[in-house]
Amino acid sequence: MSRRLERRPAFAVTVTVVFFAWLYLPIVAVVLFSFNSVKSLATFQGFSTRWYVDFFHDSSLITSLTASLGIAAVAAAGSLILGTMLALGLERIRSRSGRAIGAVTLLPLVTPEIVTGVAALLFFTGLGMKLSLVTVTLAEITFSIAYVTVIVRGRLASMSPEVEEAARDLGCTPWQAVRQVILPTLVPALLGSGLLVFALVFDDFVLAFFTTGVDPQPLPVRIYSSIRFGVSPAINAVGTLMLAFSALLIVLALLVPRLFHRKTSTLDLIAGGERP
Amino acid sequence: MATREVTRPSAPATPPAGRRTSVQRTKLWGTLLALPTAWIVGFFVSSMVIVVLLSFGRTQRDGRPVFGTRLTNYDALWNEVYLRLFLRSLTYAVVTTLICALIAFPVAYAIALHGGRFKSVLIAAIVVPFFASYLIRMYAWSALLSDDGVVNSALRKAGLGGVQFLNTPYAVIGGLVYGYVVFMILPVYASLERMDLSLIEAGKDLYHGPLRTFFSVTLPATRAGLFGGMLLVFLPALGDFVSAQLLGGPKTYMIGNLIQQQFLEGQNWPLGSAMTVAMMIGLTVLMVIYLRATTTRNREQA
Amino acid sequence: MTTTDTQLTHDPATAESPAVSLRALTKVFGKETVVDDLDLDIASGEFFSLLGPSGCGKTTTLRMIAGFTDPTSGTVMVGGEDVTSTPPQKRDVNTVFQSYALFEHLDVRRNVGFGLRRKGIDRRTIDQRVGEALELVQLADRADDRPAQLSGGQRQRVALARALINRPQVLLLDEPLAALDLKLRRAMQLELKSIQREVGITFLFVTHDQDEALSMSDRIAIMNGGVIEQCGTPEHIYENPTSVFAAGFIGTSNLMPGTYGDGVVQVCPELRVPLLAGHGLTGGEQVSVAIRPEKIWLSELTPAMVQVPGTVVASTYHGATTQYLVDVAPDVTLTVLEQNLPRMSTGDRWTPGSRVQIGWLPEHTVLLR
Repeated sequence: MSRRLERRPAFAVTVTVVFFAWLYLPIVAVVLFSFNSVKSLATFQGFSTRWYVDFFHDSSLITSLTASLGIAAVAAAGSLILGTMLALGLERIRSRSGRAIGAVTLLPLVTPEIVTGVAALLFFTGLGMKLSLVTVTLAEITFSIAYVTVIVRGRLASMSPEVEEAARDLGCTPWQAVRQVILPTLVPALLGSGLLVFALVFDDFVLAFFTTGVDPQPLPVRIYSSIRFGVSPAINAVGTLMLAFSALLIVLALLVPRLFHRKTSTLDLIAGGERP
Repeated sequence: MATREVTRPSAPATPPAGRRTSVQRTKLWGTLLALPTAWIVGFFVSSMVIVVLLSFGRTQRDGRPVFGTRLTNYDALWNEVYLRLFLRSLTYAVVTTLICALIAFPVAYAIALHGGRFKSVLIAAIVVPFFASYLIRMYAWSALLSDDGVVNSALRKAGLGGVQFLNTPYAVIGGLVYGYVVFMILPVYASLERMDLSLIEAGKDLYHGPLRTFFSVTLPATRAGLFGGMLLVFLPALGDFVSAQLLGGPKTYMIGNLIQQQFLEGQNWPLGSAMTVAMMIGLTVLMVIYLRATTTRNREQA
Repeated sequence: MTTTDTQLTHDPATAESPAVSLRALTKVFGKETVVDDLDLDIASGEFFSLLGPSGCGKTTTLRMIAGFTDPTSGTVMVGGEDVTSTPPQKRDVNTVFQSYALFEHLDVRRNVGFGLRRKGIDRRTIDQRVGEALELVQLADRADDRPAQLSGGQRQRVALARALINRPQVLLLDEPLAALDLKLRRAMQLELKSIQREVGITFLFVTHDQDEALSMSDRIAIMNGGVIEQCGTPEHIYENPTSVFAAGFIGTSNLMPGTYGDGVVQVCPELRVPLLAGHGLTGGEQVSVAIRPEKIWLSELTPAMVQVPGTVVASTYHGATTQYLVDVAPDVTLTVLEQNLPRMSTGDRWTPGSRVQIGWLPEHTVLLR
């Protein structure tokens, strides 16, 4: 089906082209100067991988990287479990209290991240917990549940309730229907939202900034403190690696439903652009 | 009717309502809800309560915050420095939201209606960098715009002399727009996708000229997406502190920077809590007003 | 009213227990009574249709038999056993859903074998019965495909095989043909009927399509507003509708309200329709009479017929038949359907404006109250 109108609006197309240039200009600059052989951020003097070598030899940066990967993995797994349970419960429960719960659980999505960060900081210190990677992980799980819930609910809503009834009809208890039919059908959405959360948590700065201890720090917090001391090509290298890694995860998250031959992609769920 | 008068020989009496096991209802959904709800209430809701409680507290001599029932922290917010800063944050967030709308509309329009086969690719090309590290992208701008960055050295080479970009409101707002414009593009794009294209065609016949068609057909049809997007940009923009931290300076600090200082530099947690609560109250009031206004307008539209 | 043809229940003393028995079944959603004190018996091996417009309560009735909806009151029995409080997975019924509800993550073979696997039947038996079921619906060559790769008609067959393979007491079909195009629907109607004869399982078929119900069913129950208006064989319902709704819903009828008096129903001053004896009406009663369009003659009238003069106001050629609209009184226009017989030529058809004499046999006047 073609949604093409005969004439291209010159203004809109121009804005779009400029927009894409603006969108990618800083990213291209970061990547380019990460391969600069000298410390200058203004002129490219020659190709070199010395900043990457520096990065891989900096054991404290590597520790931060490992910490961030660990946090992201645990947070993705935790929020996937909790968020899916929430999505299933909210989508099927019919009571008024169920809807109220639904509203409360989406609060983290509309709360500015700094508020969540401050609240988490007070919560953990109030409980007498020592700030560490554990507190970061707990905070990230809490923040990420809503993302999983939104994506999984979107997929559930597009699933006919008759599918679940068919499972019951063919001999499943409610729980067996969930395990044998609903969850397998949700696999692409689960993978997609898991990858998305992994990327979001891996990159997250604000929440980690408020809830982390002194050492080891998650990678974004570590980078933030170096940025405050000034721009350096080494940060360009780390930044390039982080951008590439997140981009890879997001592209995967977007492509997952395609790999399963599903018509609805994660992108549709994010963009809400699913065609009727 | 005869159909009602049948004898019921083999039918046993209906079991009493209380003992009847429900066929349809199951405890499963409630059970599934219990754990995540407990988690969110336990962590998120209760942590919010702590913020509110501490906002009435004070800092002891040894620097430890304690709960209390005093309004001193809120009184402290009423001074010219803070109020100017609040006003500045609000201005930045509003300007950011408007600029995002101005960018999002033509971009979403061009992609939705003229993207053809590349629509998904183009949208993905917008989404991917936006979900990748916000911090690195802010850093990228600060590197580009710094005094010895690419832009300034190019300007100097061209004999135009250097321009100070960083530490200006323009840089901070630019960073905010760069950070959050995707939240405007996606909902506007979604509503354009759902729009009936024949409306635009009809509008072109009816109103002559693309500009009048835009204002009388396209804009109203995508109103919901636009209103939703404005909220999604405004909320995080108002609470942001990274853009002002990396692209601005003390003269461009926003509420987020102020709060961050109370917690991680100044160590006045009760004051920081009061600022946080004040911001949340302000946001809630603005949101209620905004939602009231937009839903009635949407209803009138419908 | 005590017409024997609307008997919905079997005499338990003489028949084996019916496949499905509903007693005083009622469902109330909020303030709305969707199914109202319903009694119904469906005999074993019967192809039974619940026919009615959307919102008449037919799907809710089906869902209560399947166990997806709790009745507000009343009982559901399957094979003589009260299953009112039995969860769906333990009822000896299976359902073919309107949306087919296939499991997208399983191939056709596993979709069809799903119910047997749940019952813990050994793999070899499952494989064999899946093979048979797929033969039955002519899909043996698509066993390894995913549902997404199948056409609408094929998906429908998979849904049928997946339900049938469990050999339930009753197969419930919820408008299973609604999503197919007309040609495929006709073909599937024939096929469903022949499959039902082959397997001998009781089919309870829910539809809003009267053609579908007429052509497939052993018996039909016409539902409206949560109650059964009439129940009987297709022929009986068509020939002897007992309510205005049934007469209007099945086929087309010339429906004329009027007042009874003196052996005739006075429709308007110009039109009086005589009734055969034995109607048991008293003078002044408000009733309706209905006459099927194909029962009215435009020529070769006999003295035994009720005869009325009229004017042709429109004629539409339909190939095998021609449909006329005939004014018989200022406010009464009758639809008449005439067969285009081989001996007739174009010139034999009436043109608008023609004065005609129409007639029908008195036994074709259907009395509705």
